Amino acid sequence: MTESTTFRGLIDGFVESVNRFPAREALVVDGERLSYLALQRLADKIASAVLQHSEDMSPLVALLAHRSKTAYASILGILSAGKGYVPLNPKFPLERTRSMLALSGCRILIVGKEAFQQLPKLLIDAGRPLTVILPDAFDEGGLSSDFPQHQFVPSKKMADGDTFSSGPKINPTGIAYLLFTSGSTGQPKGVPIPQSSVRSYLQYVCDRYDVNETDRFSQEFDLTFDLSVHDMFVCWERGACLFSVPEKSVMAPAKFIREHQLTMWFSVPSVIGVLAKMRLLSPGCFPSLRYSLFCGEPLSAAYAQRWQEAAPNSILENLYGPTEATIAISHYRWNKTRSPEECVNGIVPIGWIFDGQACSVTDANRKAVPVGVRGELCLCGSQVTTGYWNEPARTQEQFVQLPGAGESPWYRTGDMVQQDADGCLYYLGRVDHQVKIRGYRVELQEIEAVLRRACGTEQVISIAWPVENGSADGVVAFVSGANDLDHDRVLDHCSRVLPGYMVPRKLYLCDEMPLNANGKIDRARLVCILKGEEK
Amino acid sequence: MKPQLEIEVVDLVVGWVKKNMQTNGNGHVELTENTDLMESGLLDSIGFVELIVFMESQMACNIDLTDVDPGEFTTVQGLCRIALRNDQAGKTYASSH
Repeated sequence: MTESTTFRGLIDGFVESVNRFPAREALVVDGERLSYLALQRLADKIASAVLQHSEDMSPLVALLAHRSKTAYASILGILSAGKGYVPLNPKFPLERTRSMLALSGCRILIVGKEAFQQLPKLLIDAGRPLTVILPDAFDEGGLSSDFPQHQFVPSKKMADGDTFSSGPKINPTGIAYLLFTSGSTGQPKGVPIPQSSVRSYLQYVCDRYDVNETDRFSQEFDLTFDLSVHDMFVCWERGACLFSVPEKSVMAPAKFIREHQLTMWFSVPSVIGVLAKMRLLSPGCFPSLRYSLFCGEPLSAAYAQRWQEAAPNSILENLYGPTEATIAISHYRWNKTRSPEECVNGIVPIGWIFDGQACSVTDANRKAVPVGVRGELCLCGSQVTTGYWNEPARTQEQFVQLPGAGESPWYRTGDMVQQDADGCLYYLGRVDHQVKIRGYRVELQEIEAVLRRACGTEQVISIAWPVENGSADGVVAFVSGANDLDHDRVLDHCSRVLPGYMVPRKLYLCDEMPLNANGKIDRARLVCILKGEEK
Repeated sequence: MKPQLEIEVVDLVVGWVKKNMQTNGNGHVELTENTDLMESGLLDSIGFVELIVFMESQMACNIDLTDVDPGEFTTVQGLCRIALRNDQAGKTYASSH
């Protein structure tokens, strides 16, 4: 057999689970329970529509939907049709969605009912003719006459699909999904993840956590966040059930975890802080959990301890990984006696690189530093993608060869770490101005680029604030050189082009920016001002 | 008719939210006692926790959300009713803010 006939794509685990457990529940969403067979039927219908309208052979299909039945079925349908999916977020500002859609080059767009309201505005300026699949709409309403340049496929035009259990052949280098992260130039950058990378991840993680069909997975992450790929596909790979956490419970999911007796929890660490402050994290309150995974931002020792007490039967792990390295690439297992000693600055280590993947800690010349010396973390292996979407210059900057480390490209994460003699990695911060806000990766320069345009001044600095237990909850900005600044107008502009977590909570107008000894804007001094205000 | 105590607590909460709500593009959101504070974007999770801390200090009670659906406690009215259920003392609050 050749490799191409034996390769398992992202969809194959789901298909196998349909065959093994057709009647088992695959998905609980918005109060509805869907069996594997029922979910496959929905997905097949969408796959048929995608294939029927794929004349241009584009490898990608965009999806504008938010954690709904249609959203999950569409992801499965797109993959069943042998395409990669590009998630777009109805909660994001229209301009950002439009930019992502244009950059992706997709000609097919699937839209869930939760995004119907913004669809007409998106279509006005879509840039190219689109085929818009509307599984939640019986007919196209007036869309065809309003937008003759686009083609619409409502549910009445969608035939029941064939079963794609033997589906189109999946190419290991084909794209499974394309996600956009914050880009320093003011435009989001696309990260394409190959089928083979996500397959490596699934194989490793399913075995590590011994996932089985009785498991009950949480699904908190937005679909534009790659950690959602873990929720869906680790779960469906082994016939388990996915519980989509309702939007109102995302902030405080305690009751949801108990009611649904979840066994697998995965979220950003800041959820722990909110639950703790709301006194919803009492010792032993989550007895059903057998694994608790946290990723997306630094996990503080205090939070880890608190969660471990609340979920005493669960193994707690801190996962780490940039989107470019497919979901997560290192792990650290919390041990209540040993781990508090192993934390640096009160932050849980990011631990050991997954078996089969590689890391190197390098200095400014890209040479490996000795054990214990801080440097930039570089990653290599089957989980690491090969570059950015249609951005050769950025790719060349971030995907490099390391001296004496062979021909393979290494991804420079921009994360400052140190590694001990046992290979354990400790996260120390960023080498640039990228920050994590509520788990989302944010380039402060992108916010500053938007603010400069809105304020008409070059002197703009944004700072992740407030920061608690190593995690930022928002961003504030300092502006100088802008007379008669209309705060509301500037913030309104920001909220039109940036997702909510990137919009400054507050603008501080100052006569001039404080400078450090090198004549650079003194960010530390600005943080002191914020700390002073807090008191 | 709504009890006087509830009206007072609703006023207390609405006053706090008006003062502390996020200004980023939410100027158009109308704040009523049925407005969902999270969905409307007026408060984020940290703001919401701060509101609870404020209510507890003003009302000298513990607000227990253990068995309450989040959908119930994210509106001003829902949160006030839960707080009043938790508040055994039954004081008045109009003068405390």
